[in-house]
Amino acid sequence: MKTTKKRISVTVNGESYEREIAPAKSLLDFLRTDLNLTGTKEGCGEGECGACAVIMDGRLVDSCLILAVEADGQSIQTVEGVSRNGRLHPLQNAFAEKGAAQCGYCTPGMIMAAKNLLDHNPAPTSEQVLNAIAGNLCRCTGYGTIVDAILAAAKER
Amino acid sequence: MKVVGQELPRVEILEKVTGQSVFGADVRLASPLLVGKILGSPHAHARIKNIDTRKAEKLPGVKAVITARDFPPVKFGRFIQDEEYFARDKVRLVGDKVAAVAAVDEETAEEALRLIRVDYEVLPAVIDGLEAMCEDAPLIHEDCERYWAAGLVQGRKGNILYHKQSLHGDIERGFREADRVFEHRFFAPMVHQTYIEPHTVLARVDASGRATVWIPTQAQFFIRQSIADIFQWPLIKVRVIPTEIGGGFGGKMLPTVEPAAVALAQKSGMPVQIVMSRAEDFQTANPRHPCHMRYKTGVKRDGTIVAREIELVFGTGAFCGNGLVIGQRAEMLATGPYRIPNVKIDLFCVYTNHANCGPYRAPAGPQLAFGSEQQIDIIARELNLDPVELRLKNAIEEGDTTPAAGGPLKDVHAKETLRKAAEAAAWGAKPREKNRGRGIALGYWLVGGMASSSGVKLNEDGTVSVLTGVVDLSGTVTSLGQIVAEVLGVDLEDVHIRTADSDFAPHSTISAGSQGLRSMGTAAKLAAEEVKKQIAEVAADKLEAEAGDLVVEGKRVYVRGTKEKGLTLAQVAQLSMTHKRGPIVSVQSAAQFSNQPAFSVHVADVEVEPETGQVKVLRYVAAQDVGTAINPLSARGQIQGSVIQGLGQALSEACVFKNGKMLNPTFLDYKIFSSLDAPRVEVHLVEHAAEGGPFGAKGIGEPSIVPVPAAVANAIYDAVGARLFELPLSAEKILLALQETGKGR
Repeated sequence: MKTTKKRISVTVNGESYEREIAPAKSLLDFLRTDLNLTGTKEGCGEGECGACAVIMDGRLVDSCLILAVEADGQSIQTVEGVSRNGRLHPLQNAFAEKGAAQCGYCTPGMIMAAKNLLDHNPAPTSEQVLNAIAGNLCRCTGYGTIVDAILAAAKER
Repeated sequence: MKVVGQELPRVEILEKVTGQSVFGADVRLASPLLVGKILGSPHAHARIKNIDTRKAEKLPGVKAVITARDFPPVKFGRFIQDEEYFARDKVRLVGDKVAAVAAVDEETAEEALRLIRVDYEVLPAVIDGLEAMCEDAPLIHEDCERYWAAGLVQGRKGNILYHKQSLHGDIERGFREADRVFEHRFFAPMVHQTYIEPHTVLARVDASGRATVWIPTQAQFFIRQSIADIFQWPLIKVRVIPTEIGGGFGGKMLPTVEPAAVALAQKSGMPVQIVMSRAEDFQTANPRHPCHMRYKTGVKRDGTIVAREIELVFGTGAFCGNGLVIGQRAEMLATGPYRIPNVKIDLFCVYTNHANCGPYRAPAGPQLAFGSEQQIDIIARELNLDPVELRLKNAIEEGDTTPAAGGPLKDVHAKETLRKAAEAAAWGAKPREKNRGRGIALGYWLVGGMASSSGVKLNEDGTVSVLTGVVDLSGTVTSLGQIVAEVLGVDLEDVHIRTADSDFAPHSTISAGSQGLRSMGTAAKLAAEEVKKQIAEVAADKLEAEAGDLVVEGKRVYVRGTKEKGLTLAQVAQLSMTHKRGPIVSVQSAAQFSNQPAFSVHVADVEVEPETGQVKVLRYVAAQDVGTAINPLSARGQIQGSVIQGLGQALSEACVFKNGKMLNPTFLDYKIFSSLDAPRVEVHLVEHAAEGGPFGAKGIGEPSIVPVPAAVANAIYDAVGARLFELPLSAEKILLALQETGKGR
């Protein structure tokens, strides 16, 4: 039953880590249990809700669908790495001000999706914002305040 | 007012946007956790002949295996004691708990479940409420009538666990006096609350046998009681620590995996975590009651409603659960917010072979409005009356009541809310474009509240701490902070407020029923007012003045007229330590309160594509009677989110079953609205300070979902002439209806 562990080295939020892990472990599970970065959430485990979204080498991915071994040698950014040196990212400020988080469970994934958008497209239209977060389900806000927050953050940057 | 009424960000928002908030599955302990897994029944209805767990117990890495044998042989239930936590002789739903394991990792736990052998004798199952009422339907509880039941339970027979008939006026005379009588049947299927965070628990049983349970819950005191009941333990043997909660909407109030985790932790001697899979959550957590409705309404030619006869059948699932709460709510809301002299209501709650249903945002509200408000629309069209005018003609006013609402109602703003929505949506100036339509619906809700208590203390630096056991969902805690800050003349930043656990929090109401703010807000306001008195008492001695002459504002206290001379709150707090009264702190209670009405009126503009039946919501206007909005940012946010949830119920959401197994237990197949589906929601607040609420606040979270499916259904009819009587209003149903009316292509 027990399989041989694999050694991987990944950079997460600028820090490099080397770990021995079970080959079937998802990147989500690796982040949450091996690195104790619990900001990234699990909502479905099937890549349908986006709560586990992280940025991997400049691409938005659902970390529940990626094996940790696939992340070997890659650079990952999670919600914990969005603010730097105690300074919030404009997206985080805008989410707070616009009331774009209610329960807050989708928020980490939502912020990663938004950050990925702004990284590639610093001045998006509303429609581009709606498309960028289409894979991130939110059950509390109805999305309007989230779109407002992302557009406000884009102006801010 | 300086703090109340301000649009302030949530007090805990920075933790949420940085990923620091600790939700259910984020709790970590010093000792390693075992993974718990539940073995659910594959059959909707079957007798258990044998359970063999020996192989699973021997698997290396398995630390505990439990079945019904590990629980006291008692049934539990708040209204009817019909529930067994683990199935003993019979399973009554797909996913009914048969056994559970705790193992060192997920793989081992899953392997152990596969090694448990259960022999079943499969029985015929019944899923639909109306079918379950038939004489020849399979009996889900053979001895239902012998179970212990609370005094209000009546009419038990076969699968019917509750039947109540209520009569008001003279229903037969009412129909005789009517010029026209309309009768329609409607159906609203089971839907799921679909919070993004699944049910999760971490349980530890310490050496003294005391259980600590970390859970995302809306009702920590309910869950504590339920766990104690299931184990037959003294209440205080259970400590519930509520974590941040990733959405609830009513779905996180009843026990699901918590008792299993406690039993596994007890048996293994190690902490156990259970995280439900999305499929398990869909199939077995407590979704919304499906509801069959029959509405028969008699009207005069001028639109005056003279009689309404209503029959409602709620499928409660395998157990009663809190089905009777839903039933009582339904009775209060069934007629809609209209003056109707003659009313007859028949209400049935029926056992069915699916998950035990539970509360979901405005329990029974959207279902009943879907029936009632569509029929009002039909009547308006048949009588050639404007739908807004027909509602204005019949809507209740100050001092009116509706059946079972418990007497004359105060703060009734149905008509003003109707006018506000109609005006905002330019109702009278409806554009006439092909395949586009506009619909309106009037939502009625009654907010009652349970007893609550809350504490407030002044810290040595002049800041304030608020002690509460209420769990925050969409801003209640921030609003409580605003209320306390307002009373004590400080800023929201000076108020520290977080949820305490069941051992230490003063008894708090549930975070549900739109009552958190009113119940808790009242208690917190009373406590803050008492603290203010104590501040004045301590300061009066120092300032050599009468306490009554002191003003507490701007983080200071001073004698009226000599603003420059006073004391800071920090100085007062320090003085209190040597003052004869001691530290400044107060815990106050708010008693339970009776029903307060709230109204929401929605206007939906839709476009229907006749070739495909697809509906697009073009514009959505929501007006709501909110009393005083303590935090308009939160109030509008809750209403917007609620509408989008309601649009899911209207257009795309339904749990689909085959032989009792849910066919669509994934986000892919159970379609909640995404950013691409959701229209912008325009919110208009109708603000009149209401009696009893803190600073005049009313409950907000539930009224806002009530009229959504009805407003959309009415808009679809307006657009293409297709009248749909079953939710959701899917493209397929619209297309079929268009083909029937000959309008489809």
